[in-house]
Amino acid sequence: MMFHVDFKSGKPVYLQLVDQVRYAAASGALRPGDALPSIRPLAEELRVNRNTVAKAYAELESLGVIETMAGKGCFLKENDSPLTKQVRHKLLAAKIDEAVVTAHQMQVSPEVLRGLLEERIQFFERKKAAAQPEPQEKEQIWTPTNPSLTSPISTDVLDGWTPSTD
Amino acid sequence: MQAGRCYGFFGRNGAGKTTTIKCLLNLLRPTAGSLRVFGIDPQKDEVAVKSRLAYVPDVVAFYPWMTVRDTLNYQASFRQHWNETVAADLQRRFELDPAQKTANLSKGQKTQLALIGAIAAEPELLVLDEPTSGLDPIVRREFIETVIGAYQSGDPEHRTVFVSTHLIAEFEGLIDEFTIIAQGRNLLTMEADQARNRFCKIRARFAEAPPELKLPGAINVRQTGRELELIGNGNARELLETLRGHRPEDLRCEALSLEEIFVASKALPQESIL
Repeated sequence: MMFHVDFKSGKPVYLQLVDQVRYAAASGALRPGDALPSIRPLAEELRVNRNTVAKAYAELESLGVIETMAGKGCFLKENDSPLTKQVRHKLLAAKIDEAVVTAHQMQVSPEVLRGLLEERIQFFERKKAAAQPEPQEKEQIWTPTNPSLTSPISTDVLDGWTPSTD
Repeated sequence: MQAGRCYGFFGRNGAGKTTTIKCLLNLLRPTAGSLRVFGIDPQKDEVAVKSRLAYVPDVVAFYPWMTVRDTLNYQASFRQHWNETVAADLQRRFELDPAQKTANLSKGQKTQLALIGAIAAEPELLVLDEPTSGLDPIVRREFIETVIGAYQSGDPEHRTVFVSTHLIAEFEGLIDEFTIIAQGRNLLTMEADQARNRFCKIRARFAEAPPELKLPGAINVRQTGRELELIGNGNARELLETLRGHRPEDLRCEALSLEEIFVASKALPQESIL
C-alpha cells in the first residue's frame, strides 16, 4: 500500500497513517498476513520523524489491526476486535451519529443519506472483491481518509479539529 | 527540550537563530540571561557539552589540503565515540571519493561530509544551522533522509535534533515542536500537530459582497469582491459559525503548514502569544 501525508488536513500525522492502514484493510488493499513497511524506510520515504511512524504502528497494534512479530516486522491481523458486540455497536453508532448530524447541516435528506450509506458499503465491497484474486493497482486512486474533506464544509471543521482518540 | 524529539527553530534573517546556536556551542557568550545544554553551562564546561553533540553549520570549512578520508579520520580522532560502519555506509551512499581533497568538493559534498562527521559520532544532540540552504533538491532530500534514517533510527530514544532553517516545508514531517523567534525573543513555541490544528485558513464565497463582518481573533482578513479569506487562531469553530450565518455559497477551511504559520506569526497580536 502507498502512504501519503497531508499537513493541511489538520489531523495529526500519526493518525493519518493509522487511518490509511485501516482504510486499506477495509478496502482490501491490505489483506491479513500482509507485511507493512518497516519503520525506518517508511519514515525516510515520507520524510517524517521516525517516532511518528512508530507511534502510528503502536496505535494500530493497540487497536488490534496489526501485530508485530519479533525480528520479522508488522503484519495485518485477521479482523477480530477484542471488544464485545455491544461496545462495538455503541462506538459505531457514535460515528453514524456524526454523519447524521452532518447530513442535517448540509440539508441532505434522510432518504438520500440512506442511499449514500448503501452506496459506500457497496463501494468498499467492490474494492475488496477486486483486490481478492490479485491486487489490482490500476484502480487504486488515492481516496482521502476522511471523505468529508473534499466537501465544502468538512466535518473535521465542525468538530473544531479535536483529534479523535478512538 | 526532551530527548528523542526533533525541534525546529524558526525566525527571519537577523532574528538571532545563529547567535543562539553559537551561544549553545560557546562560540559566543550571551550578554544577558543564561543557557544550559544537557543541564550544563557551556561557558563553564564546554568540552562536556560538545562531546555529547554534533553541529552542522550552513557554511562548512575543512582544511583544504586534507582528503575526505583524512578529514573523517581527523574528526574521529577527537571524538570519544565513532561508528566507522555508519561513516563508511554514508560515504558510499553520497558517492564521496575518499581520496578527494576537500578543496575540490562542491558545497553539497562539503555538507555531506560534515553530516557524515556529525552522524558517525552518534551524538545525543544534532544541531543543524540552516544545513540545506543553497543545496540542490536531491542533496537536500538525502540530507533529511539521512537524519531520519542513519541518525534518528540508530537509537531513537536518545537522538535529539535541533534544526534552524528557512526551508521549513522540507523539515515539516520531522519536526515535533518548534519555536519562532523575533528580535532575539521567543514569539511562539508549540507542538507541530497542535499548531496545525490551531491555525487554519478559512475561505468563504458569498452570493454578493458581504457587509463588514465582525470576526474577532481572525488574522490577515482579506476581502476580494464576494470572497473572504482569513486565518483562524484557535477559534475556527466560532469564525465558521459566524460566516455560516451569512449563508456563504462556499466555505472551506484547511490547516496551515508550519511555513504558513511562520509567515502568519508576524501578524499575531502580542497578547495571543503563548
